[in-house]
Amino acid sequence: MAVPSSGSRRSERPTEFSLRAGGSALQVDGISKSFGAVQALSAVSFSVASGEIVGLLGPNGAGKSTTMRAVLGLVQADSGEIRLFGQNILADPEQTKRLSGYVPEAPALYEFLTGAEYLDFVADMYGLDPATRAERIRQYLAGFELTGHEDSLISGYSQGMKQKVALIAALSHHPKLLILDEPLNGLDPRSARITKDLLRNLATHEGVAVLFSTHVLEIAQAICDRIVILHRGHVLASGTVAALRDRAGMAGRDLEEVFLALTGTGDLRDVVDALSR
Amino acid sequence: MELHRVQRLAATLVASLLRSGRSSSDPKSFFGRPALIGVIDLGLFAGVAAMAAVALGAATPPRDELSAFSNAFLPFIPLVAVSVVLLAGLMFELTTTAKFAGSDAANWLPISPGEYLAASVSAIAYTYSPAVAITLGALLPLSLAGGTGAVYGATVALAVAGLIEGALLIEMVRAATQRASSVTAGSRGRVNLFVRALVLILVILLLQFAFNPVFLLGLTQRLSTVALVTTVVPFFWSTEALTQWAAGNLELGAGFAVGQFAFIAALAYLASDLRERNWAPSPVEVRLEAHRYAARNPVLAAFGLSAAESALVGKDLKGLVRRREMLPTLVVPVVLVVLVLVEGGALGDLVSVLWIGWVAGFFSLLLAGTSVGQERKALQSLYAFPLSAESLVRAKAGFVLVPSFIVAFGLAVLVGVFFGLPPATFLGVLLLVVTISVVLTFWGLAFAARFSDFQERPRPQFLRPGGMIAATVSGMILLFAILTPGALALLYPSTLSIPLGMIALVLIVGLGGLAVYWTRSGFRELFRQLPF
Repeated sequence: MAVPSSGSRRSERPTEFSLRAGGSALQVDGISKSFGAVQALSAVSFSVASGEIVGLLGPNGAGKSTTMRAVLGLVQADSGEIRLFGQNILADPEQTKRLSGYVPEAPALYEFLTGAEYLDFVADMYGLDPATRAERIRQYLAGFELTGHEDSLISGYSQGMKQKVALIAALSHHPKLLILDEPLNGLDPRSARITKDLLRNLATHEGVAVLFSTHVLEIAQAICDRIVILHRGHVLASGTVAALRDRAGMAGRDLEEVFLALTGTGDLRDVVDALSR
Repeated sequence: MELHRVQRLAATLVASLLRSGRSSSDPKSFFGRPALIGVIDLGLFAGVAAMAAVALGAATPPRDELSAFSNAFLPFIPLVAVSVVLLAGLMFELTTTAKFAGSDAANWLPISPGEYLAASVSAIAYTYSPAVAITLGALLPLSLAGGTGAVYGATVALAVAGLIEGALLIEMVRAATQRASSVTAGSRGRVNLFVRALVLILVILLLQFAFNPVFLLGLTQRLSTVALVTTVVPFFWSTEALTQWAAGNLELGAGFAVGQFAFIAALAYLASDLRERNWAPSPVEVRLEAHRYAARNPVLAAFGLSAAESALVGKDLKGLVRRREMLPTLVVPVVLVVLVLVEGGALGDLVSVLWIGWVAGFFSLLLAGTSVGQERKALQSLYAFPLSAESLVRAKAGFVLVPSFIVAFGLAVLVGVFFGLPPATFLGVLLLVVTISVVLTFWGLAFAARFSDFQERPRPQFLRPGGMIAATVSGMILLFAILTPGALALLYPSTLSIPLGMIALVLIVGLGGLAVYWTRSGFRELFRQLPF
């Protein structure tokens, strides 16, 4: 699927943020966050360069979603700093959001709207002009095989269709940073492939920085330039897949084995045996 | 039908309700167990009975007076039971989403429609039983002292039957409204959505009047054939049975009681049939006419709203007429206006102006209270958009004020025409009612910003209970504080008109300004970070 052309968009207006290709788009420096007695994040640091896809991996409850929410300012870190294109995200939250596209782990769409109404609503939020929005929405709907369903209420959509709408909503304003929390949830193989290829294209050709979380490690291995592994709120390891293999002393093994070894959940045979009885 | 399965499902439905509350989120807590309601029943029954017994001991009225008193009240207890379940059911049960009502799970679990009906009816009846426990507790000492223990025993049985009758009616309406929803499945056109909303509103209105004891008693008093009404309408047969027993007509009373139970059995059969025909309440696909994007709404733009703010208002207005949980909010002004029309000229112009001002203000308060909580988990989308807190304040105020102005204008015209108000007075009334709506809108928004409930719950609520009570009580005080001097100044010109008008004006400016200030600070605080 071709990426819809840029057209006029607010994210292209003059901004104090410098959009250097290849520079650090997102810089997360030592953020910590606790919810009551639960320490969700402890001094988490990593960066995502323009044109780079960074995979955020970790077991359930590791802090991936909290990190992504913090990057967008939905959750305020107790300490540390997050900079988007060199600017603290709290300095101008609206501009941060204008430059970003976000797909939450469980997209809560307005189910009483039709797909087309929802995408129009989102386009209004980002200030897309009618002609640009119509063209982009048409292209994305066709690419994700939603054409013909756009006038049905979202309440009648399948989980995969809702996920596609959430993805289109995050992409349609052509953000410079994509924050995608398990974006392939519920997608059929064709749509998942389109999404992966699209993310690769956006990163390579448009310089979009992508922060991406998934539990499907084959996908992370296939499309991510670098991996950040979170475990119990800490960054356990980060780097390319090859670097992670070296660190775990598991040259030639796949990312799943490296991940399980690094997170200390490698020996699963006893569990499987017990459950099989 | 397997009773064990019914009992397990009923217990699960009750637990689902109890555990949806913030304070009972710990499933191990006793407050999250179905037995809690039984303990509340017993506690209320025993506590109220003890208080009544103490009061009775202090007053020591003659036995025949007590007998007459308890015989006059006991026959109405089953009516109270039906009414309580119906009213609470209309407010809470009909808006329950399928996934929380347990009917979703019933689709794939080996549960028959009959078993689901029995479980759901038991759960509803059990949930609202404390209201009946109070009245039965209060009348127990009176009945024992008055020697009407036998009638009291029959009352208990018929009150339980009344709870079941009310629950059956609620279940029937729930199944019928699902039918109303599913007839639009696959259909095209916004008209279908409007028809669905209209059908639901009419059903709620019909039930509100058909089973409202105050309305029914008022109606029967106006009819010369009261006796005929109570003997022909099955709804009154429990009352008739107890009245006959109290008068010593045992056979006739037994006949009415048997008739009442037969009526409940017939309702159960109908409800089971309806549930079976409207099984599988999974979401239906509703298609609308091909969507055409309408650029920034010119009316909202005239009020200074940006394109994004207009889009938010449009989104919320669509939700108002398309979301089932929002329908009770829409029904409120309709029911209250119908009540005014039914009462007709019995109300004077002053009371009527106070009444419509109250309706308009209460509607604005109610709607504003829902405005933030209705976002539910989609609030995270709003946070992810490049919106400021100020934008959200303007958009939410716009969403509440658009329908509020329509209601306020409609009500002012209604009263103006009904009482033939002079043009100047009419304009004054219109201005007063519109102003009340604006003040109450911001008052409600201030509470919505601080007390909104974003959790998906079995019975949808938009404000947390504490906030809801505080908003309602303070809103009512504020309403009458502004309305009373304003209405008096407009309708009864005298030397006091100017001072009264000034008082109203000062209150409007002062309280309105306070409400706007609280709203803005509340939204700024709300926008700091996602509250879930």
